[in-house]
Amino acid sequence: MNGYLVLETGEIYEGRWQGGQARAGEVVFNTSQTGYEEIATDPSYFSQIVVMTSPMQGNYGVDQSVWESQKMWIEGFICLEIQKTKRDESWLHKLTENKIPLVSEMDTRAITLRLRGGGTPWGALVPAKTSQEAASLAKDLINEKKKIEKDWVYLASRHSLERRTGSCPQGPRVAVLDFGSKENILRELMSRCSEVLIYPSRTSVSQLLEHKPDGIMLTNGPGNPEDVQVAAGTVRELLGKIPIFGICMGHQILSIALGAKTYKLKFGHRGANHPIRDDLLGKVYMSSQNHGYAVDPQTLPPEVCVTHVNLNDQTVAGIYSEKKNCLGIQYHPESCPGPHEAGLLFDYFIEKMITKGKSS
Amino acid sequence: MPRHQDLKRVLIIGSGPIVIGQACEFDYSGTQACKALMKEGLEVILVNSNPATIMTDPEIATRVYVEPLKVPFIEKIIEKEKPNAIIPTLGGQTALNLALELNAKGILKKHQVKLLGADPHVIEAAEDREKFRNILDKVGAKYPKSILVRTFEQGMRASEELGFPLILRPNYTLGGGGGGIAYSMDEYKRMIANALHESPTSEVLVEESILGWKEFELEVMRDYSGTFVVICTIENFDPCGVHTGDSITVAPQQTLSDREYQAMRDEACKILNEVGVQTGGANVQFAVHPTTGERLVIEMNPRVSRSSALASKATGFPIAKIAALLAIGYRLDELKNDITKVTPTCYEPALDYVVTKIPRFAFEKFPGSKDLLTTQMKSVGEAMAIGRTLQESMMKAVLSLEFHPEGFPEINYQVEKVSYANSQRLFHIYQALRDGKTVEELNELTQIHPYFLEKLEEMVQFEKELEKLALDHVTLLRAKRLGFSDALIARIKKIKPTDVQKLRDQLSVQPRFQQVDTCAGEFASETPYFYSSYWPTFSPAIKFNQPAVVIGSGPNRIGQGIEFDYGCVRGVKALQKQGHQVVMINSNPETVSTDYDTSDVLFFEPLTTEHLHEVMKWVGAKGFVAQLGGQTPINLAHNLVSRGYKLLGSSLETIDLAEDRGLFSQICKELKFQIPQSAMVSTLSQAIEMAAGIGYPIICRPSYVLGGRRMEVIESEEELVSYFERHGEAISADRPCLMDQFLEGALEVDVDLVRGEDWLVIGGVVEHIEAAGVHSGDSMGVLPPQRLKDETCQKIEYLSSELAHRMKVIGHLNLQLAVKNDIVYILEANPRSSRSVPFVAKATQIPLIDLGIAAMLGVRKDQIHPEKFNWRKAPCVSVKGVVFPFKKFSEADSILGPEMKSTGESMGRGQDYSEALMKAMLSSHMQFHPKGEVFFSLRDKDKTMMLDIAKTLKSMGYTISATGGTAKFFNDQGIETLSLRKVHEGRPHCVDHIRSGQVSFVFNTTRGRKSIEASFDIRRACTDLAIPCLTESDSVEAFVLALKNARKGEIEVTPLAKMVEL
Repeated sequence: MNGYLVLETGEIYEGRWQGGQARAGEVVFNTSQTGYEEIATDPSYFSQIVVMTSPMQGNYGVDQSVWESQKMWIEGFICLEIQKTKRDESWLHKLTENKIPLVSEMDTRAITLRLRGGGTPWGALVPAKTSQEAASLAKDLINEKKKIEKDWVYLASRHSLERRTGSCPQGPRVAVLDFGSKENILRELMSRCSEVLIYPSRTSVSQLLEHKPDGIMLTNGPGNPEDVQVAAGTVRELLGKIPIFGICMGHQILSIALGAKTYKLKFGHRGANHPIRDDLLGKVYMSSQNHGYAVDPQTLPPEVCVTHVNLNDQTVAGIYSEKKNCLGIQYHPESCPGPHEAGLLFDYFIEKMITKGKSS
Repeated sequence: MPRHQDLKRVLIIGSGPIVIGQACEFDYSGTQACKALMKEGLEVILVNSNPATIMTDPEIATRVYVEPLKVPFIEKIIEKEKPNAIIPTLGGQTALNLALELNAKGILKKHQVKLLGADPHVIEAAEDREKFRNILDKVGAKYPKSILVRTFEQGMRASEELGFPLILRPNYTLGGGGGGIAYSMDEYKRMIANALHESPTSEVLVEESILGWKEFELEVMRDYSGTFVVICTIENFDPCGVHTGDSITVAPQQTLSDREYQAMRDEACKILNEVGVQTGGANVQFAVHPTTGERLVIEMNPRVSRSSALASKATGFPIAKIAALLAIGYRLDELKNDITKVTPTCYEPALDYVVTKIPRFAFEKFPGSKDLLTTQMKSVGEAMAIGRTLQESMMKAVLSLEFHPEGFPEINYQVEKVSYANSQRLFHIYQALRDGKTVEELNELTQIHPYFLEKLEEMVQFEKELEKLALDHVTLLRAKRLGFSDALIARIKKIKPTDVQKLRDQLSVQPRFQQVDTCAGEFASETPYFYSSYWPTFSPAIKFNQPAVVIGSGPNRIGQGIEFDYGCVRGVKALQKQGHQVVMINSNPETVSTDYDTSDVLFFEPLTTEHLHEVMKWVGAKGFVAQLGGQTPINLAHNLVSRGYKLLGSSLETIDLAEDRGLFSQICKELKFQIPQSAMVSTLSQAIEMAAGIGYPIICRPSYVLGGRRMEVIESEEELVSYFERHGEAISADRPCLMDQFLEGALEVDVDLVRGEDWLVIGGVVEHIEAAGVHSGDSMGVLPPQRLKDETCQKIEYLSSELAHRMKVIGHLNLQLAVKNDIVYILEANPRSSRSVPFVAKATQIPLIDLGIAAMLGVRKDQIHPEKFNWRKAPCVSVKGVVFPFKKFSEADSILGPEMKSTGESMGRGQDYSEALMKAMLSSHMQFHPKGEVFFSLRDKDKTMMLDIAKTLKSMGYTISATGGTAKFFNDQGIETLSLRKVHEGRPHCVDHIRSGQVSFVFNTTRGRKSIEASFDIRRACTDLAIPCLTESDSVEAFVLALKNARKGEIEVTPLAKMVEL
């Protein structure tokens, strides 16, 4: 059976349908060489069809322990080759069991160059006999999909409080505002904290402070930060009162709370090889990336410094305000997939922003 | 921070003659570094003893020294040039060891020279296994259990503790020299003694076996601020147990999860930091257990290496260039990515394709050596290919080896060729799958990860399906996407390869061309570096300007190596100077020609008719150059011309004239030139009959061979019979055996010339030091000739010119001639640039390659002024030395003969012959012991001549020993000589004596299969103990001349002068 990727702008790409259910989403590409399982289960990919530029997928099998959440969030998986032998076809099965459409034998480079050149449109993955058939199937799917709730963070967030005990009894207690958190942000916190309290995205300030947290973590999450309700207001009230660390969506919400504006990048950053200049740690290193929006540095208030820069395109990769004791990081210090260098920022949050603040 | 401002002049040390484990990848790294540093406005002083390199072209650096890579010479250069710093990380282990020595002797301090890119404690920390293990402990990395052994007795104890099999790793050797795997005590005893000897510090690490573990290598870079990037991850197809240089490897890694990979990456970074690598490139090798995932560190190299050349070609990240810039003070984020031109250099390349490297071996050159792969590197070259999938790239890499147009031809599967790692294993695995063996069985036999075996299995399965399928668009496309060549498809479908091509054209199943862009398409990139694939649906829209295509020389092999890459690179530049856009096509990742910086457009493709045709069609080639890449492009010329492409320079007729012995001897007869008596035969009985007419000795060889493969001097009918027994399978009616009269004792010369429409330039006449019978690639040579009479030399020039005119050569012609009793015989004509061209160009300052290109482009006499180029004006005497790999082949004989065995060459330049000889021999790793014993074992006819030599050596203070006959002769002539037993005369014999370490030099001349076999042990002992062993009387004379010069202890160095301008 042929599988088609149909873009709302009209382009159609043909491949081999490997199973799953026809679906629509925003089409994005990721250049990571490894980490398909982490990517598929990362809530930030909510509502997105992912094109993997690395030709071979499923090559090292599956491992539930690397899942970044309880389920798969992607709307489709596109690659050139999928591991499919008697010995191992576990990734193929995992995707299709979860009804994620999987299309292989796609000219992923052609799609990537299209996305690079013209931005990331909506599209649909459908099985069909001909491209005409695919186009009409896709149109309905895309129209339907576009009707979903705009606040994607709300859709990806937990809807009740989850308390987790950390492995560091002397460590602080951190309240997490869940925008669609990757599991590894929580793991990183738990290894440094006595307790981690995870709240839904629309939690009020009083609820958030109920258990007297020492710091607030704003997590990653999907979608347009300007469509996220409640959270920016919540964060605005907390600014300067408690240490705040935002990652990805959390960083964008923090920036909005500080008065800045965000904008959509042409085709986003998704991969594991973007260089970052980190003036806070005084280093240049590789980072794990997954975001479609960025903060406009011109709109940041003067007391906030751009401390992290993406060296590929000079976009804002992180902000810091000593006065407000808040840190926003656009990329993924929790990695998974990707390099670990930025993991030190969790130490910075705990040791420099929380512990030092407490002792002084 | 920008670069160090106090740096004005930098010395770069090259890696010397090509040896196994250290080949032209260091020409690539050094050349890149020189270019980058010159661009930075630095003065670059380069020293390398290898004349075949691009880097020793006078244009590459401010000043180029072709001098021995030995401390006294480097010190002299430092005194003369006063560099501020040395970059020792670009010339392999040779440069690194030399830097250590310069430092230890206080020479760097004395002359206030800084070491850039690596300091002595870093080199030691990585190289000294005990120190390295301490570092691994500190960062919490695991490594195979091992024991450092300094004596034989310690070695015995280690084996008890660790159990067999054991891996031996001597300290401070290159390519794992002296190392190996021992499975039994017997083997181990022999190997440990040898390994202790091989290590300059007499230290050997005896290690528990990790045979069968997965093997990985990370190519990494670091700058002084601590930024760390992984340029490339390489996974070995062959599991641990085979030297990584001998392993089939793929990039990026294929079987690690993100979690496993990131842990490996973290560990590599920690190791680099702890070892203290400040800036530059390095690699770290890991073993991973196939089921538990346990990870061990194997080793780390704090320098640019063979695999970094591979990684640079595989990713588009120019490691050596960046390493040089980091060494002078830049940070990664301050440098731009060459390929995208918009993003910085601190990034990790993302690949949307798969790269496969397959080594090329030369076991057939060393009869007696076992084709077994171990931890000691034995391959002489490698081919790399790029495809969108592992299968496509694997098949392209196999085709790039240039063995067979089908890639995997049908062979007879042998289980031992699968269960023991050997050069043919991949082919036998593939055949085993054809024969119905399963992936499980093969995994059991080889421990190769099933992931790789399944890929091969899929290809084999499709072969079977293809037999039944009709060749429609879908089927053909599937076959091509698996990398199947037209020839393979044709064989399976029982049609002609050209029919497959026609069918592909009709059904528009065409390859597309994709860019190697470092970023998997994330950023736009300008750099025209391409590979073909049948997976993509489009090729980028590029406007070509009727480019000229230069075809490279493919993977290095004995007889076709770096000398031809020199020609290609210089040829590309010459074509560009004449205003042409130039496309380079090659498959060898070690070379300068496959640097995307060299040509206007680079294609990494197998050098087959099919692949070249597709490239040339896409770019709209104006014509192609086949004269520069050795025999490979010459062999392809016919097919390409028949597909409508224009051959630049000498026509097909000229090529045929030279290649077809019958036609060639006819011309020689017409011109009244002497050629040796010869005959062409296809059976033994014919051979015996013809031999009677020619008279023994006779040289026998099959036609159309390179590097003298299967070529032997036959002394008697008995030997002729034996020759046919051993080589009969290569001889048939359409591939006859050539029999040539052997001109015993004749002086051989090489002539390289260039002819244009109305002009001719003799590049030079190189006189061989050894007499006829030694392959020209293996004999030492001198320019200008030292023994040739001037009138004979003039005659040679005249004959060569006449022949070139008659053959209508346009471009290069290489001639091999022999002179006996003042008669000049023409032995061989090669209508192409030759192995000797770079040496000749550097000895004479005549830009031979540039002239060749001018000839091919039709430049006329009035623009060339051929009289400007006079080889007789060479400023000094130049001697070409040779380097052999016998050490790596433990059963091989070091005797020289008509089959080429050397891997590399050196050049010695001096005011007189003896100085040039001394330098060339030093550079070829001959050691001039100032005292000791000289052992002679001579055939009768050499005895009288050697008498004077023995006298001279005696007067120089050496003692003399010899086998019975020779000793008696010397003693009778009044030279006191110790008589030693021959091997068959019982022990203790001469070999025991040599192995006991009492002998400084050995002179052993012999001829005839039986005597050669009888004296094998003598030469083998010399090879094992690195004792100079000369097997030709002429080279003995030359050696003594050089020895005398060396004992004077005078050292002079002079830079190369610029080439004469065209």
